[in-house]
Amino acid sequence: MIGLLQKIWVEVRWPVLFFSLGLFSVMSVLTALLPKILANMNQFFDKMPMIRPLLTALLGVDPGNQASAQISQAFLWVHPTVLSLIWAHEVMYCSRVPAGEVDRGTADFLLCLPLSRWEIFWAETVGWLVSGTCIILSGYAGHLLISLTIQPDMRLSVLKSMTVIVNLSAVYLAIGSFSFFVSTMSNRRGRAIGIVFTVLLASFLLNFLAQFQDWAKFISPWLSVMAYYRPAIIIQSGEFPWFDIAVLVFISGLMWLASGFVFHYRSICTV
Amino acid sequence: MQAIVITDLCRNYGSRRGISNVNLKIEEGEIFGFLGPNGSGKSTTIRVLMGLLRASSGAAAIFGKDCWNDGPTIRRDVGYVAGDVRLYPWLTIRLGLLMLSRIRGLKEMHARGLDLVERFQLEPDLPIRKMSRGNRQKVALVLALAHSPKLIVLDEPTSGLDPLMQDTLMACLRELATNGHTVMISSHTLSEVETLCDHIAIVRDGRIVEDSTVKKLRASAPRQIVITLRPDQEFESVRWPNEIKICQLPRKRGGQDSALAETSSTPTPMERTCQLELIGSSSRFITWAAAQDFADISIGAPSLEILFRRYYQSNQGDL
Repeated sequence: MIGLLQKIWVEVRWPVLFFSLGLFSVMSVLTALLPKILANMNQFFDKMPMIRPLLTALLGVDPGNQASAQISQAFLWVHPTVLSLIWAHEVMYCSRVPAGEVDRGTADFLLCLPLSRWEIFWAETVGWLVSGTCIILSGYAGHLLISLTIQPDMRLSVLKSMTVIVNLSAVYLAIGSFSFFVSTMSNRRGRAIGIVFTVLLASFLLNFLAQFQDWAKFISPWLSVMAYYRPAIIIQSGEFPWFDIAVLVFISGLMWLASGFVFHYRSICTV
Repeated sequence: MQAIVITDLCRNYGSRRGISNVNLKIEEGEIFGFLGPNGSGKSTTIRVLMGLLRASSGAAAIFGKDCWNDGPTIRRDVGYVAGDVRLYPWLTIRLGLLMLSRIRGLKEMHARGLDLVERFQLEPDLPIRKMSRGNRQKVALVLALAHSPKLIVLDEPTSGLDPLMQDTLMACLRELATNGHTVMISSHTLSEVETLCDHIAIVRDGRIVEDSTVKKLRASAPRQIVITLRPDQEFESVRWPNEIKICQLPRKRGGQDSALAETSSTPTPMERTCQLELIGSSSRFITWAAAQDFADISIGAPSLEILFRRYYQSNQGDL
């Protein structure tokens, strides 16, 4: 397993570093800009009314009615750039094995090592969890660093921040395990990435449509991952989102197990 | 003990044929040649052996263990090089050996690997992306042989290697076989298999059409005879014996050499040469030939080439 982890380290260290630095920078910039955005929020809503339902969809609460200095910190954790960076990393990472290996023709080498496919899958999972932790914590570090310079009443407590991070990590697990699942069913990495991004986009749009359409509101909890990630509500209520996290972790566990079994039992044709 | 036992092995790709009812037994210490034209099923058989593909039916075992269920245990004792070698672009041999020695739990693998690096004239710190195709092939061979496996499975290993490196590889494989290691080499090139292997199987259209030792095959292979007639001799005027089969008649006049033929009344050597195969008793043929007055006659060594060509030509009914 050490040898495999070494291979993963060599392959993903630079992308993980770039994504970590990227998220660190984005979170720093967003944290620095947040006071200015808050000051002009109502003007924004008057000028661009479409922004309001979009933010409502992302936050889970209407920002116009409930905006407070701390709740607005939730913007950081649902900002499309932040989510895109985290998801791009995991979709790329989780499609490496087996789809990526088959695609570039190295599956023969990897799968003919004296390791079971479950061992390979475990090593990939370790890499996925460690890299995700690095990237999310880098983002938090960026936010923490700049938040020292903003007004004290705008700072979130560590407990609330950690709760949001745990919820975000549960989303990370769900999307990553879905990417693993698609990857184990595919021989083409591009196709696997395309499928996952399409599903993510559809999930995102569904969450947005739920603000306007009843049918979308009805199916959103079943099909939209964003329905289980509501940082504004966490910050507002201060409660730990047990149910949301349990649903995400359950889905993640199910997908991960399914991926492992498919990978274990599948004939992998490399020609 | 048998290193590989394959029993009634079938593997299809959906509705497409892969291999059907393949039966093989390879003894330990043997150098086994797996021959067949492109797309005949050699790589599919090897992929089932390596646990990449699950058999549709039948069984494949290495050292008595099932290739699909006991794959990781089996692969500890196996070195494998795929037909179309692809390695990680960032990989150097030194890093590859380090990683593999950790995965295999063999510290001595690193030193042996570096010996092979010297033998195959490779640079241990050059990444794969900067190497030529031949050198990549050599890297794959070094990584497959460095742990001194009991069974070496090579799928068309000489593709991309220059003749000197082909000789080095062959010498290396012979050494391993001498020390009791089993070698399975797949190829569609007869010459490399003929000189190296003890045991050969020929696969065609997914089925084994021949499974024999090189010695037996050579004994059944025909000798090729080339006879050049005298300028005044007609092919039709010779009474050919039953011991031979005519393969190629002398070239007719007025063909490609018609310009030359118009300027000369005597037939060219090409127009007087015919190729035959000895299919009967050699002593009777020699007695007959001694009584003939040919311009030239040559009898070649038994050629497996002719035999293999017949096996390869799937649509011919003369097997």
